[in-house]
Amino acid sequence: MNYFFAALGLVLTGGVAALIFHRQFLFAKGFSLLLTVAGCALGLASLALPSDGPAADWSLTWLQIFPLSCSVDSLSAFFLVPIFLICPLAAVYNIGYQDDAGASLKTMVGVFFLNLLLVAMALVVVAGNLLTLLLAWEVMSLSSFFLVLYDFKKETTRKAAYLYLVFSQAGVLLISAAFAIIFGSTGSFLFAGAATLPADIKLLVFFLACAGFGSKAGVFPLHIWLPHAHPAAPSHISAVLSGVMIKMGIYGIVRTYLLLGSQDPLIGQAVLVLGMASGVLGVLYALGKHDIKRLLAYHSVENIGIIMIGLGLGMLGATLGNPVMAGFGFAGGLLHVFNHSIFKSLLFMGAGAVVKATGLLHVDDLGGLIKQMPVTGRSFIAGSVSISGLPPGNGFISEFLIYFAAFHGLSETGANLILVMLAIISLAVIGGLAAACFTKVVGIVFLGEPRHEELRSVGEAGSWMSLPMLLLASFCLVIGVFPEPFINAVFRTVAQMVPALTVDHVLVATVGTNLAWASRLLLLMVLLIMAVRKAFSLRKEVARGPTWGCGFTRPTVRMQYSGTSYALSIVSFYRPFARIRTIWSGIDTIFPKQAAYASRVDDIAEIALHRFLVSPVAFVLGKLRWIQHGHIQLYIGYIIGTIAVLLLIFFL
Amino acid sequence: MINMTNTILVIILLSVLLSLASNRLSALVRIMALQGVMVSLTPLFLEHHSNLGSGGLIFFQIMILIKGLLIPGLLFMAVRKVSITREIEPLIGYHASLFFGLVCILLSGYITSRLQVSLPAGHELLLITAITTLAAGLFLMMGRTKAITQVIGYLMLENGIYLIGTALTKQSHTLYVVEFGVLLDLLVGVMIMGIILHNINHAFDDVDTTLMRRLKD
Amino acid sequence: MESILSFGVALLVAPLFPGIILKVKAFFAGKKGPPLLIKYYTLVKLLRKGFVYSTSTSLVFRMGPIVVCATALMALLFFPFGGVAPLLFFQGDVIVLFYVMGLGRFFMVIAALDTASPFEGMGAAREAFFGTLAEASIFTMLILFYRMNGSLSLAGYFTGPEAISQTAPAGALLLLVIVALFMVLLAENSRVPVDDPATHLELTMIHEVMILDHSGPDLALIEYGSFCKLLFYASFVAMLIYPFHQFGPVLAMALFYGAVALVYVAIGITESIMARLKMNLVPKYILTSFTLAFFAVILSMGISQ
Repeated sequence: MNYFFAALGLVLTGGVAALIFHRQFLFAKGFSLLLTVAGCALGLASLALPSDGPAADWSLTWLQIFPLSCSVDSLSAFFLVPIFLICPLAAVYNIGYQDDAGASLKTMVGVFFLNLLLVAMALVVVAGNLLTLLLAWEVMSLSSFFLVLYDFKKETTRKAAYLYLVFSQAGVLLISAAFAIIFGSTGSFLFAGAATLPADIKLLVFFLACAGFGSKAGVFPLHIWLPHAHPAAPSHISAVLSGVMIKMGIYGIVRTYLLLGSQDPLIGQAVLVLGMASGVLGVLYALGKHDIKRLLAYHSVENIGIIMIGLGLGMLGATLGNPVMAGFGFAGGLLHVFNHSIFKSLLFMGAGAVVKATGLLHVDDLGGLIKQMPVTGRSFIAGSVSISGLPPGNGFISEFLIYFAAFHGLSETGANLILVMLAIISLAVIGGLAAACFTKVVGIVFLGEPRHEELRSVGEAGSWMSLPMLLLASFCLVIGVFPEPFINAVFRTVAQMVPALTVDHVLVATVGTNLAWASRLLLLMVLLIMAVRKAFSLRKEVARGPTWGCGFTRPTVRMQYSGTSYALSIVSFYRPFARIRTIWSGIDTIFPKQAAYASRVDDIAEIALHRFLVSPVAFVLGKLRWIQHGHIQLYIGYIIGTIAVLLLIFFL
Repeated sequence: MINMTNTILVIILLSVLLSLASNRLSALVRIMALQGVMVSLTPLFLEHHSNLGSGGLIFFQIMILIKGLLIPGLLFMAVRKVSITREIEPLIGYHASLFFGLVCILLSGYITSRLQVSLPAGHELLLITAITTLAAGLFLMMGRTKAITQVIGYLMLENGIYLIGTALTKQSHTLYVVEFGVLLDLLVGVMIMGIILHNINHAFDDVDTTLMRRLKD
Repeated sequence: MESILSFGVALLVAPLFPGIILKVKAFFAGKKGPPLLIKYYTLVKLLRKGFVYSTSTSLVFRMGPIVVCATALMALLFFPFGGVAPLLFFQGDVIVLFYVMGLGRFFMVIAALDTASPFEGMGAAREAFFGTLAEASIFTMLILFYRMNGSLSLAGYFTGPEAISQTAPAGALLLLVIVALFMVLLAENSRVPVDDPATHLELTMIHEVMILDHSGPDLALIEYGSFCKLLFYASFVAMLIYPFHQFGPVLAMALFYGAVALVYVAIGITESIMARLKMNLVPKYILTSFTLAFFAVILSMGISQ
């Protein structure tokens, strides 16, 4: 583990160095970036080393009573890859993104917390016992809280950060409760103890942990903090939060599942249902949102849903003794974790480039940016194709594996069969809606005509920002066109993760090869048609003119179809799940002067949370206001009273 | 060999679904005619019903005549005479109706799998179809505003009951005497409905049942 | 060899069949109608012409027709016409194919949005919306096919002794699927009652309005792509109606293309006797098709128990 800890040390030093040297802005940036990148490279390399890779462990007893331990197994190694891959790219991006030397201290505090977050996430995945996991989890939550709070001068940011803090602390509470049950019945912090619990306690532990970890992952209906926190945080932070950090919640769910080793089908069914709800509703709300970063945040909910569908199919398959379903389900879910970390950080970086260049976030204010920002635009399109799950992007590969698992689950009976069928249908719906949503973003933001004159003069993002985007976009295509090594790697992980599962290697290899050839064939076809078109366009005149206005001779850029109108008919189809509020001033005279129209789509989880949890709690707590007098003596009295009561209860 | 019974049952289900989705009255009546013919053909293709006497044949011919021709014809006349607007005007929207159809068929599949003990072999699809038809008929009566759609819903309900009778028994056509009686009642009902609608139409401007609330005092 | 031939024939005859639809419609209208080969003439005419590009457009606009055509051709590569084994097949190819066609739709839509025309944006929004619903319907059908024959590839569905047919147990359910697939065919290929290819008002169009600004060979590529897509769906319906694999390859091909022609005649008749639905009724229409497929799937559970 030495190299691994050395890597984390380097990263942490990079963060501290940024704080120390914040007065020399450029030096601090460069030095900390160097250390961070070196640390992450070392971390990635250490995964390949036999002494440090899977099966390495380390332990220490802290303050004589708290045992801390770390160990790397195949699952941890799998989750470490996106951490060490995406975070340094975000750091590189940040060099170009936050280039205001005047706000040096603020920037460097951001760098410090980002590096701290990186270390904490790495420790979460390698944690070898319950206590270490909880401690690392808390450091992760707090450092990410400060990152969300980065623009603390804005009211909305403070609110978003507060909301995030509430959710993450409530989540920690649930996780602690789950771990406390394990500790209470085994008397040790060891992971291994969980397997010895009685079956119904296992279920309780799983659901507590699932709610706790799920609130971090953004599983419906605990996703509410995501769409607030992401627009508030700077874009490279959103990229890390959405691309990497929320996956820690998935890690937690998978880890808990593996530790419990429960054979109850209820677990798989619950995860599957949660996945379907998050997937469909996430993409639906994404369609209804027109702030690019909020929209991307809802897409994180959707992709977490897809991952959960995969994992749920895996768990169900493992319980029902269906190895193909189980293997492909787990593999698809895990591969989607990796894929999503790539394309989601790419998209957030693209959104960040747009925001930095224009200062605008609402899609209906933008337009035609691909002409001014070709690199950003093209890599954004690559990311959009991937996140919509279309070939030849990488998202398709993982979605295909999940489909494959689901179709092989159709041999089951009863409720499981219906769930599997619904999983296939919801995957299809998610795919279609995601494509609709990203055609909206790409088409309204990057294509067409600029909706403001100032947009014609914006420039391309600097090379520090475009380099990570280009790299990530090429990762998307490389995984899509050469998927075999990635599929094989993820199946190796699954095989070590669930040793009882035997997936036919020949089948895995064939699926990988077939997918690879299908993607290459698609590219070949496109090239072929390009050649044909080239052949027919030789020596042809190319005229240019305005767009055909269908007989209308004086079109303006404001007449373009807007994102709102593009999405509204789709969202209103699903109206019971998405409340649409419209404000329409109406036309009352024959020659109307000015009219206004606005619509917004509300999240039913948010409405329900407000109506059924926050309002009643606030009402009850409001009744208890009289306790609060503001006299310190009274509060000391409360403390004494409480201790006395607790002691009495304890001794009687 | 194509299984004729299943094909007919699938066509009945198709008609049920289309009737939930259709938004034109005349289309709905046409669908009901198709359904009536198919429903009265069903027993002929069940194996143990196949040896029919001449009485049975006449019986089924009359069935087809009433269900497929007479009742739809009367309904058509009602639609034409009373000059009801062509739109169906649902109380419960089309999307929700289709969704109801899905839930309905899921439930009837479940009920059928529970009832399996008392069923003759090979009648599962028949019973599923019967229950779905029955429930969809009730739903049409509940979810549409016009008086004429309520009659159509009642007709569908009757089709469902007839199919359930067919599914649950092994006897020959003599059993259908009761259903035949019901059918005749229904026929009379449709005629009376036509006359009443005609008169209401003369007395009032509209035949929308939601407007009949005004008659209550 | 047979496979290459069948693919080649399909490529050749794809523009022939839409001519049949025009003939049928002309017959219903009491007219003589355009010649049967009209679509070939159109393609040749378009290929000879030059380009006109809108100043609003970018590279995406030029990529659109290429991707649309490539994805449609790719779908034909995997289709077993008349039960003759296709050029390529593997377990899971249907999923890949429908997603590849999704890529075609993606580029079609963003190419339309690239022109900055409000009408094309409207068409794009409709295409994206109806596409999502049709996709759900298609995947529900795939569930039924998998339950009937345990295969996930077009070749698996329609070739060999295990092929899907109405004579198989639970084969009667295919009737529902045929109706559902025909409805999806009309929706996905922009035919009446979802879209009217012959209308003259841009506000009411879906597919035609999206390609308003394409010209010359670009337009030819899009047109050819949509002929191929229509042939793909029509062949799908024809193969479900009757699997031709037990005949020899030549006879099977002849009978198969006869059946395909019948499907096109059916499209023509539908177009002649129906009017286009109001736009707000189109979701209901596609939902009906989804419900039909779902009915079939649930019934397959009931029958197989």
